[in-house]
Amino acid sequence: MEGMTYVGAVIGIALAAFGGSLSIGWLVGKTMEAMSRQPEVAGELRTTMLISIAFIEALALYTLVVALLLVMTK
Amino acid sequence: MAEESKGIDPLHHFELHSLFDLHIAGIDFSINQAVLWTWIAGAVVFSLFAWTAATRKRYPKGKQNLVESVLDFLMKEIVLKVIGEEGRFIFPFIATLFLFILTSSLLGLIPGSFTPVANINVTAGLAIMVFVTVQAVGVKRHGLVGYLKGFVPPGVPSWILPLMLPIEFIGQLAKPLSLAIRLFANMLAGHIVILVFLSLIILLKSIPVTPLPIVGVVIMSAFEIFVALIQSFIFSILTATYFAAAIHMEH
Repeated sequence: MEGMTYVGAVIGIALAAFGGSLSIGWLVGKTMEAMSRQPEVAGELRTTMLISIAFIEALALYTLVVALLLVMTK
Repeated sequence: MAEESKGIDPLHHFELHSLFDLHIAGIDFSINQAVLWTWIAGAVVFSLFAWTAATRKRYPKGKQNLVESVLDFLMKEIVLKVIGEEGRFIFPFIATLFLFILTSSLLGLIPGSFTPVANINVTAGLAIMVFVTVQAVGVKRHGLVGYLKGFVPPGVPSWILPLMLPIEFIGQLAKPLSLAIRLFANMLAGHIVILVFLSLIILLKSIPVTPLPIVGVVIMSAFEIFVALIQSFIFSILTATYFAAAIHMEH
């Protein structure tokens, strides 16, 4: 049963990477569309995109922290 | 299993070891690697900027160009764009945060050194500092009552307030939490990947395969330079966003 901790940690990281990459990819794609449509606001869009990526990434990183805690303190 | 993997445990590198024991009134003030490398990063930033300021010329050359372009970027792209003209007074704080985080994460890439921002205590300290300063700026600008009123949008029926206030309160507390965890986990994850690549050499025990992990380490180290830049940028731009929210309460 002890090995289940590792299984849980790995499943958590896998799901977090899956969701995070999907949403960041979608976000960057949409930003690219907007940038090519209106290149004059590209700088502003890039800043907003970076902030939003940081928010999405934080959610995936919470999972990383939880997984590390699971593995370290099992 | 545990005994086998003990020699290459990647997390071992991130444990704090006391270099100089110091206990005052029962509180542990020991100097560990995180404290030491925080001081080194601070000393590097301070000496570079103090030296540049002492030897500045009217026509910038060499290091003065570097320092001026970095500060100009921070002023224009972060402070003026996110907060606006009212945010000029907070520029030194944001620039110091950016330079400190960037320097300490870049210093951590030197083999044998320690990354203080890969430790949750250091990033939590930075995030708490940001949180307290944001609240202080908000209270100073709007007064205590005005600042608290700003959490309630005008025209909200009073029966919904017991629901809204806790959410706003949790939202304020979540900001420093996410700041701290984002920086810490990013730095820790990158360094763990580098360490795992390096421990592959020991694990595989095969000389022909050795170049592959080394290529991986080189690529990950280059990526870590990029991550250090982007994370310090994101930390300072989010700080600026929180200041903007505290200064322009009406939006």
